[in-house]
This record gives sequence, structure tokens and C-alpha cells, in this order.
Amino acid sequence: MSKEMKKVFFIIIILVMATLFILSVDIEYGNPKNLDVANYYIDKGLHDTGAINLVAAIYLGYRAYDTLIETIVLFVAVTGVVFYLRGKR
Amino acid sequence: MRSSKIIRTIVQKLFPFIVLFGLYLISHGHLSPGGGFQGGVVVGTAIILLALSYGIEKTEKKFKNRRLSMLEKLGILSFILLGFLGIFTGHSFLGNFLPLGRPGQIASGGLMLLFNIAIGIEVAAGVSIIFYALVKYRGEL
Repeated sequence: MSKEMKKVFFIIIILVMATLFILSVDIEYGNPKNLDVANYYIDKGLHDTGAINLVAAIYLGYRAYDTLIETIVLFVAVTGVVFYLRGKR
Repeated sequence: MRSSKIIRTIVQKLFPFIVLFGLYLISHGHLSPGGGFQGGVVVGTAIILLALSYGIEKTEKKFKNRRLSMLEKLGILSFILLGFLGIFTGHSFLGNFLPLGRPGQIASGGLMLLFNIAIGIEVAAGVSIIFYALVKYRGEL
């Protein structure tokens, strides 16, 4: 990829990000029409997952993928810490 | 280096209760605030406390670094294998294939308890491995 192409891509990415940011300025998070997912979790969480702790129902039930990757991140972090602290043997 | 006798005695008496509290946090993660990450950190803190008061050599005799790193891999592998069991029993990846049980009981929530135990083992071993590495390779205790 040539230097001009890189510059053009850079400018395009900056423009897209600026557009998204400007569009996101006036999102109302308290607005009821933006709370569909939250209300679904509150209504159906106990019935779907069987856990009375709603936080656990979300992070181990609906979003167990997220938790799996989070655990892998911790594993990689431990590996990296041990690797860099051990240094050359 | 060893700490004073007061600290050693208090840590010796306190250690089982800290571990018990950590296990409670892990096993009741789907019923009350807590969970695998928090309870695992509490159990790891108990091991760190032991190392701070009794010295790293004595602690390593009880909790071997090699065994802890095996436990860490066991935790993450069991998490992934439980996820694949969901596929083999006809659900999605990480899907719940156990009966849900009555809400409020320890057996409710299906796989959630097993997930929490796997995460707790992994986090407890990981925290103490990081501490061992920091002490052994950078500084002394």
C-alpha cells in the first residue's frame, strides 16, 4: 500500500469516526425506547437462566461468551507477567 | 524473612476462614453478590497473606507453583469443555443443558455454578502465580 493510499484511508477513518461521534452526542440513555434490552433482562432473566442474581444471569447466562474471553484475557495476562518477569534464563 | 509471631499466629487462625469466605462467594455467585472473579481473588489473597507472613519458601512447599499453574489451566479448560458440552447435548455453545431448579436454591441456574467454580479456580491460581513471580524474580520477601 502506497503512502497516499494510507493517507486517504486515514482521512476516511477520521471522517467516519467524527460522524459517528457527532451522531452519538444526542442519544438519550434514559429514554424508554432505548431500554428494550435492559427491560427484557429484568423481566425474563429469572425465567430464562434460573439465577436470582441478575448480574450473574447476564454475565454467565446471556453473555457467557464475554466471560469466557475475559477469563482467557486473565490467563494470557498471567502468562505474560510470568514470561516477562522471568527474563532470560 | 519471617514476620513477628503475632502476625503469624493471626494469619494461621484467619487463613481457613478467608478461604471459606472465598468458597462461599464462588459457590453462591448466582444467588448473591459475588461470583467467580471476586471469590477467586479472595482465595488468592489468602495465599498471598500466607506468603507475606510465613515467607515464600514455606508457602511454596504447601502451594507449589507448578500445581497452581496446573490448576489455572484446569480452570480455563474446564470452562471451555463445559461450553462444548452444550453443543454436544443439543444446545448452543456455552448453552445451559442442566435443569434450572427452583430459584433461590444452590442447584438453580444450571451450569452457572460450574462456570463460577471454574472461573474461581482460574482466578485464585492466577493471582497467586503473579504474586509468586513478582516475589521470586523481582525482589525478596
